[in-house]
Amino acid sequence: MKKYTRRMAILATAAVMTLGTTGGSKAAETIRIGLSAALTGPAAFVGVSIRRGAEMAVDAINAKGGISGKKIELIVRDDEHNPVKTVANHRELVEREKVIAMLGTTNSAAMLATAPIINDELKVPIVAPATDATKITENQAWEQKRDNYVFRLGMFGRGQANFLANTLVQKFGYKKLGLLTWTAGWGVTGRGELNRRLNELGMPAVADETYDTADTDMTPQILKLRSAGAEAIINYGLARENAFVTRTKQKLRDTTPYASAWGIAAPAFWKAAGASGEGVLTSTTISIDGPQSAERKSVLDEYLSRYGEKIDGPPFFFAAYDVVNLLAQVIGKVGEDPSAIRAGLENVPEFKGLIRHFKRPVFTRQRHDALTEADMILGRWTNGQLLEVQYDGSGPYVVLDSNEKKYIDTKTLALK
Amino acid sequence: MEFFLHILISGIATGAIYSLIAVGYSITFTTMRVLNFALGMWVMIGGMLTLTLNVMLGFNLLITLPVLVAVMAILGVVGERVSIYPFFRAGSDVWIMSTLAVGFLFINSAQLIWGHNPLPVPSFFGDGIIMFGPFAIFPQQILVIATAFVIFSLLYLFYYRTLLGKAFRAIAYSSEVTSLMGINTRMICILSYVMTSVLAGVAGFIIVPITFAEPQMGTVLGLKAFAVAIVAGLSAPRGILFCGLAYGALEALASGYFYTGVRDILGFSLMILVLILRPEGLFGKPTGERA
Amino acid sequence: MNTRGLRRTIWLLGILLLAMLPMAMSGTYYQFMFILIFIYSVVVIGLNILAGYAGQFSLGHAALMAMGAYTSALTSKALGTVPLLAQTGLNVWIAMIFGTVVAGATGAVLAYPALRVKGPYLAMVTIAFGWVVWKILLEWVSVTGGELGITAIPKARLGSFVLTTSYFYYLALAAVVVAMVLQRNLVKSEFGRRLKALKHSEIAAASVGVDVYKEKVKVFVISAAFAGFGGALFAHQQNFVSPDNFQFFSSVFFLLAVLFGGAGTLLGPVIGAATLTLLPELLQDFDRFRLIIYGCFILFTLYILPNGVAGLARRGATPLPDLAVTSGGDGSVAQVLEAPEVSRPLCQDSKPAPFIEVQSISKRFGGLTALNKVSFTVFPGEVHAVIGPNGAGKTTLINIVSGFYKPDSGIIRIDGKEVKISSMHSAASFGIARTFQTIKLFGDMTVLENVMVGFERHSSTRLWDSLLRTRRSRAAEQRRAEDALALIEFVGLGDFVNSPASSLSYGHRRLLEVARALAVRPHLLLLDEPAAGLVAKEIEALKDLIDTLRELGIAVLLVEHHMDLVTAISDRVTVIDYGEVIAQGEPAAIQRDKRVIEAYLGTVDRDVIG
Repeated sequence: MKKYTRRMAILATAAVMTLGTTGGSKAAETIRIGLSAALTGPAAFVGVSIRRGAEMAVDAINAKGGISGKKIELIVRDDEHNPVKTVANHRELVEREKVIAMLGTTNSAAMLATAPIINDELKVPIVAPATDATKITENQAWEQKRDNYVFRLGMFGRGQANFLANTLVQKFGYKKLGLLTWTAGWGVTGRGELNRRLNELGMPAVADETYDTADTDMTPQILKLRSAGAEAIINYGLARENAFVTRTKQKLRDTTPYASAWGIAAPAFWKAAGASGEGVLTSTTISIDGPQSAERKSVLDEYLSRYGEKIDGPPFFFAAYDVVNLLAQVIGKVGEDPSAIRAGLENVPEFKGLIRHFKRPVFTRQRHDALTEADMILGRWTNGQLLEVQYDGSGPYVVLDSNEKKYIDTKTLALK
Repeated sequence: MEFFLHILISGIATGAIYSLIAVGYSITFTTMRVLNFALGMWVMIGGMLTLTLNVMLGFNLLITLPVLVAVMAILGVVGERVSIYPFFRAGSDVWIMSTLAVGFLFINSAQLIWGHNPLPVPSFFGDGIIMFGPFAIFPQQILVIATAFVIFSLLYLFYYRTLLGKAFRAIAYSSEVTSLMGINTRMICILSYVMTSVLAGVAGFIIVPITFAEPQMGTVLGLKAFAVAIVAGLSAPRGILFCGLAYGALEALASGYFYTGVRDILGFSLMILVLILRPEGLFGKPTGERA
Repeated sequence: MNTRGLRRTIWLLGILLLAMLPMAMSGTYYQFMFILIFIYSVVVIGLNILAGYAGQFSLGHAALMAMGAYTSALTSKALGTVPLLAQTGLNVWIAMIFGTVVAGATGAVLAYPALRVKGPYLAMVTIAFGWVVWKILLEWVSVTGGELGITAIPKARLGSFVLTTSYFYYLALAAVVVAMVLQRNLVKSEFGRRLKALKHSEIAAASVGVDVYKEKVKVFVISAAFAGFGGALFAHQQNFVSPDNFQFFSSVFFLLAVLFGGAGTLLGPVIGAATLTLLPELLQDFDRFRLIIYGCFILFTLYILPNGVAGLARRGATPLPDLAVTSGGDGSVAQVLEAPEVSRPLCQDSKPAPFIEVQSISKRFGGLTALNKVSFTVFPGEVHAVIGPNGAGKTTLINIVSGFYKPDSGIIRIDGKEVKISSMHSAASFGIARTFQTIKLFGDMTVLENVMVGFERHSSTRLWDSLLRTRRSRAAEQRRAEDALALIEFVGLGDFVNSPASSLSYGHRRLLEVARALAVRPHLLLLDEPAAGLVAKEIEALKDLIDTLRELGIAVLLVEHHMDLVTAISDRVTVIDYGEVIAQGEPAAIQRDKRVIEAYLGTVDRDVIG
């Protein structure tokens, strides 16, 4: 008999203990901003980049005295790329940590799971620096024209796919495009969006291949793309598998032009792919190679001195950096009420971010995506640097460090 | 036909990786009826050590390999003591969990030490490509296939030509009898586990230029190698070599002739089917409760 | 208040406490965590029934949960287009039931390959199954939504009353309570006893008539249904499902919860699910070390808590709490055994017909002929001994008659009708029971439970009776316990009724095996060297026991080396050597038979008589 009593006593104590922690509400001495992202696992380079971007922005603001004298405090949670954990984290951040705004996450599926809870229950604005499913911002609340608390300052899949497909077709002149996408993560969204766009352009993909996370040899896929007559291949995935693709292409002496979404707009790609990555095109919102603005340069320098390495995921780092600054600007103006911040975000006429200088309203009530496909740039991996591709009458070109202008051969993507 | 051969060659090269890892499951299962379920993580440690020794510290391969073998052997002794010895008599669910726990420790430690990003290790033979007529293969892939064959041959010689190897096999039949014969069964258990660990380390060493050094590099490979070992039959090393190569080839052919998305669905369904027909694996001998 | 009442009160208080908890919680975070604990508990309870009680562990349970979740999500959305169902909220409830059923059916599919494999092979089958399901969820985008999953799954509601987080809490709590009750009913029933028996020895269970395949399929289906129900709850609570939730690691998580909480304990799954759900929340500041913490946690659990947390409170054997049996009722052994002595048909010469006729049975293993055209008969009320040197084929003979082996050729007739004994449990249904040369008892189970398993083939209760613990099933249990007690007293183990079988002395274990075999109510009892390892006094008792069985009209086939015993109690003796019958007749005649003496004394390294 005793044992049951003891068990119940333990259970009761545990319950009381957990409740105890909810009791004292945290005094609002600081402005608390929450972040839930995958800080471990394969997507960690995205999560860590976001975290560091947010931290550096917070530190910079606090060093200048914070927002009207109040310091910003960043509360970070790891969601392990898991939707359930992500939902739990957001509930916890809002209810227990009393954050008034959030940024995150790294997983589209998790973000889709969280959006209705944020809109229907938590009602605290969140600005996503990554995650690309279109429905994240164009969610149920958006459809029903209710207050939508979910914003995005990053590239969404639809825009990225449009940009890649349009650029390759219009600027590079390809007519037969083949797809090679990752079976997990954003590869799945990307695959759907790319197929949609290519169909819209009236030139459906000549081959639609995929690869798994652990695949190291892409021979079957490359051969199938080749035999389908693809003039160029578009990839949607991460650095590691992209490097396997370029190495397999190297092995097979395959010179089919190869372009990828922003998963490889990261130094990790060049590190892994080495010389086989030369000439690979990638869409991104930002390139940290080539000439940079003074503001960006000071952040890049600080990053280097702080972490002793190059930024893992520049688009995500800078998006997070901009999100925190944008939130600070809005909070400084409208105060700390979450719904006021949401309304404030929809009413920022101009914002000078590091990704770009928004001379238009960043968000509107109908448009919760700050960036459009027009804000994307195409980079070409050139000797370890991701150089922005520019165009003139003679076709696409890049400018080397030596200020030399080199045209790109659209048949092989080699420099002329 | 050319398409087929292209794919077949690349599939066999991947399959050799499975074989190389899968044999590790068999060695301890032969002697102790247990296995290191997290062998893929041990392979990863081998790859990571290669990265550190060869790339970061700049040792050449002839120094890297013995150091790596020594480290893996020590880890093997510790690993056996921590995750196998205490659970020797327990059910397979228990030692599957305990060895998996050690694998978790490895992955997390690797993340802390080496970070999350895939880091390349240069091929032992440079960036060259070997051509057989129209067919291309990386020299490192040839090395993997060759190593697999060498290791299986050595293992065969060990089992059938050396006294110790015979003791290994004897224990499989009856540990009581062998201990009566004056063979130190405990020693052999440790030894077989250490052999497994060292082999995993060597596998990591050989394959890391192909897979890149990364904390998750061994997870899926280890799981697929486990599947290969099971389908072949855990106590049938030669079957494992064959099944590994065959599974790699099948995967590549599935990718080539169907598409990659259904590859694992087909592969694992086929595995289940094989186990329905041959519960002890294709090359395994029936063992079961006797009346 | 008696103990039982007190326990019940404490349980009620606990549930009441949990029910009041949401009122003390501000916000939904804690409610959300508790709901997760409840949902995972349901799944883990299902796995516990499979792994903890039946010994069939699975590393693919996340896939079964996914089956429930996805089916329920899709069904509820599809039914949501029917206005009547959508208005009443019935679409969700129907979908949840359907999801549970589909998951259960999937369990049956998984059971098929899982039946035949063990240990790491079973692990592989379940992992492969989980992998296949997970991959299908990812690839079948048009139905499952692929990586992004299914969004906007309808919330559970009653009419217009929506079960938001605070109310869903009660649904989830109720689900756990129901799952706990079902689990308890199940494992305390005869079905649960069969599962435990299977876990110890499939062969011994089959020998008393347990249909091993059928029981395993049943337990897979039940376990899968629990997982599916958990999944359905999950889908309508999260209003969102994606493949990320059902990866291999989730299956590891469930199995770990079982092991940590205590495999084969009632409360273990809930403890395990709660701890493993809360642990990462409590250790949020150590995210970087999560897998290290998990690893250490697993090792710690396996070292310190081999029986799990709930197992700590339960050292030693569990007495049977719900079966208060003190006497064997008024049934005599004859009644319990439904002794066949009166009901035998007679031949013309008023001699009874043989119960079993074995004609020219042969059995080969590879090149070795174990039995060659062996024939014999056993009459009701006859003790027929089979003797022969070691390796002569005696045990093979028993294995064939008891259905463990199929003969290569030959005929077996029972009561004059030719039959095929295709499996051990079918042998039991013909009224053939056996004991084993190497004793195969259900070690952790009590003497009483061991014998009660034996009544398997006379059970008329259905699985539903067990699950719901109906009056019918309780009455049947009580009757079985009384009958078992009578048998136990009959073999002289009356003092050990509630001791675990493994604690008995060697001689007592042999007797317990006989009692268990008798519970089959056999017409033919096969005893494989019952006297081996017994002391003289015990052999004497065994002899009396066999004598009584003979009087009750039971046919006994006895394989034995003890010639004293054989001579004293056998009516007839068959001698086999090298798989062939070399002599048959009355014991006295056999002892004088030249060929027999040669067989025993002719070679030096063979066993010597008696």
